Amino acid sequence: MKSEPIIEIENLTKTFKGADEAAVKGVSFSINKNDIFGLLGPNGAGKTTIISILCSLFPPTSGKVIIDGMTLGNDISSIKQIIGVVPQDIALYPSLTARENLHFYGSMYGLKGAELKRKIEDWLLKLGLTDAANRRVSTYSGGMKRRVNLIASILHQPKILFLDEPTVGVDVQSRNVIIEHLTELNKQGTTIIYTSHHMEEAEHFCTQVAIIDNGKIITQGTPQELISNTPNSTNLEQVFLNLTNRKLRD
Amino acid sequence: MWYKLFASIKKETIILLRDKIGLSILFIMPMVLVLVMTLVQDSAFKSINERGIPIVIVDNDHDTLGISIKQGLHYSKLCVVSDSIDGKPATAELAKQAVSQGKFLVGIVIPKGATEAVRKNVGQLVSSAMPSDEDSLSKTTVEITDSINIVLFIDPVTKKSFLTSITSNLHEFISIVKTKIMFQTFSEQIAELMPENTKAPKNAFAQTQIINYKEVYASNIIGELVPNAVQHNVPAWTIFAMFFIVIPLAGSIMKEKNEGSVFRLHTMPSSYLLLINGKIIVYVCVCMLQFLLMMSVGLVFLPMLGLPVLVLGNSLLGIFIVTLATSFAATGYGVMVGTIASTEQQAAIVGSLSILLLSALGGLWVPTYIMPELMRHISVLSPLNWALEGFYELFLRGSGVKGILDESLKLFIFFIITMTIASVINRVKRNI
Repeated sequence: MKSEPIIEIENLTKTFKGADEAAVKGVSFSINKNDIFGLLGPNGAGKTTIISILCSLFPPTSGKVIIDGMTLGNDISSIKQIIGVVPQDIALYPSLTARENLHFYGSMYGLKGAELKRKIEDWLLKLGLTDAANRRVSTYSGGMKRRVNLIASILHQPKILFLDEPTVGVDVQSRNVIIEHLTELNKQGTTIIYTSHHMEEAEHFCTQVAIIDNGKIITQGTPQELISNTPNSTNLEQVFLNLTNRKLRD
Repeated sequence: MWYKLFASIKKETIILLRDKIGLSILFIMPMVLVLVMTLVQDSAFKSINERGIPIVIVDNDHDTLGISIKQGLHYSKLCVVSDSIDGKPATAELAKQAVSQGKFLVGIVIPKGATEAVRKNVGQLVSSAMPSDEDSLSKTTVEITDSINIVLFIDPVTKKSFLTSITSNLHEFISIVKTKIMFQTFSEQIAELMPENTKAPKNAFAQTQIINYKEVYASNIIGELVPNAVQHNVPAWTIFAMFFIVIPLAGSIMKEKNEGSVFRLHTMPSSYLLLINGKIIVYVCVCMLQFLLMMSVGLVFLPMLGLPVLVLGNSLLGIFIVTLATSFAATGYGVMVGTIASTEQQAAIVGSLSILLLSALGGLWVPTYIMPELMRHISVLSPLNWALEGFYELFLRGSGVKGILDESLKLFIFFIITMTIASVINRVKRNI
């Protein structure tokens, strides 16, 4: 059975003002419904730029993006209703407690009353934060902050969830909990678009992977397809190194 | 939408309440500022009007002129007159030394025979006006044989305005003495020409003051309102403090950008304007609260310290409108600074310096009427000046709502302009 695409990208280009070179150069690919799509690439490859455009943080220089049948640029507010974004940096109010942060962000997604409270409590419990929920976020460890950062983006149960390196700087326990619940969320129907430098994590977590370098997609497929199709590769990390070469990046 | 706005207000309030330093900047510091500035200004006010300028007089004349000057200065309430220095009778040399040491601001030396010299001059004038022989008639000019020099020792720190007050008083006393002597001499001369049974009027000079003046302040406030340091300073420093919310407000906007909350909010189905509206509502309330606290300083705390009580004028609605307009103007300015700045430090520096500049221009530090003409024209462009004029209109001139509409409208328009600028800059910054 052929999966239906939820995101279609055609000739996407982004050149930042004053930049000599485009950060994203005519990229085209599509992401199917219910995929866990890994966008992998070295630093400065264009991963965050693509995700930022898909989240409508800034417009592309050219190209076409269709998200769940809606054109980016024309239906921004409708698109924002169905997406969730977990930013690379912690985006929480440090002087508010986890509960207060989640209440505020949940409200911004249009959730309210008993439904909002229930969802907050459910997620706090799932991610092991109930006991610390009334403590200010500034007192949290890096892993706890990451977990609250995640909950703030999924309270409204988005159709599409963008995660920009969601497990960076967290311990193994926190990483496992995060990946476990993201998988559960995906099973409930959320398409996940994810960037990471953890190749092992991506290999096990993603159903589809695209490797990007210098603003262009080099390859795309399931992790197993990429491993089999790339010579001298037994895992995704070797695929990545073989395709993007071992030269250090900025 | 209202629910989102309420959530934004709630979030902003909690953050503000948890920021103890921010709260002290918003509420305690301005109260201390109003208190200190009013007390300081009141002392300066009293040094002229109540305590008086310390003056030492060396009266070597011991006659009408010396006595008149001494008594005149004493009763003028402008000065505290002393004729001794450290228990010793004042001499010209001691007076000069005492002034140079800052013990007195001014020293006045009336020379010996000053009154006699005036008498002699007046006598010559009268004689020339009423000649008794042919020789005198042919004379067209009068030669002044004696002149008097009253010496003033001045402390270099003395303000020009103080000195002008003293010298004009001296001129007045000398003029009175001269006129008195002239009148007496004329009276005597006339009496000599009159038949013996005709009496020349006694104390005629004392009855000649027919023109008086009364100081009435052009104010509609019922009761006796005397402009004082409280009446001038409390509104001025209140406005200054209200506009100083630019620093915490702009800082809060910058913080949200740095902490990533703005980034997240841009990906949500809520507009950035909603977040800013939440801030505006909270900070306008903060400004209104600041105003109430500052008024409580003027109404309760300053009178406890022996200063006059603040008179609020006749229109509570007028006060509410001007306060609301000032609050919106200050908040709009804070949002604009927070949007333009790239870092928290930048916001703090630009915010504080621009408020200092706008307050100086607006007449909060020195009244606009003593500014050079060019600065007076520029001062009307400062929103702090509009706010100050609005409050002066209510507190000093006793106007009603009608009197403050222009200034309030200017402040509301300023808010709209700053918000528009902030919105445009925000769009430009996002369009990378």
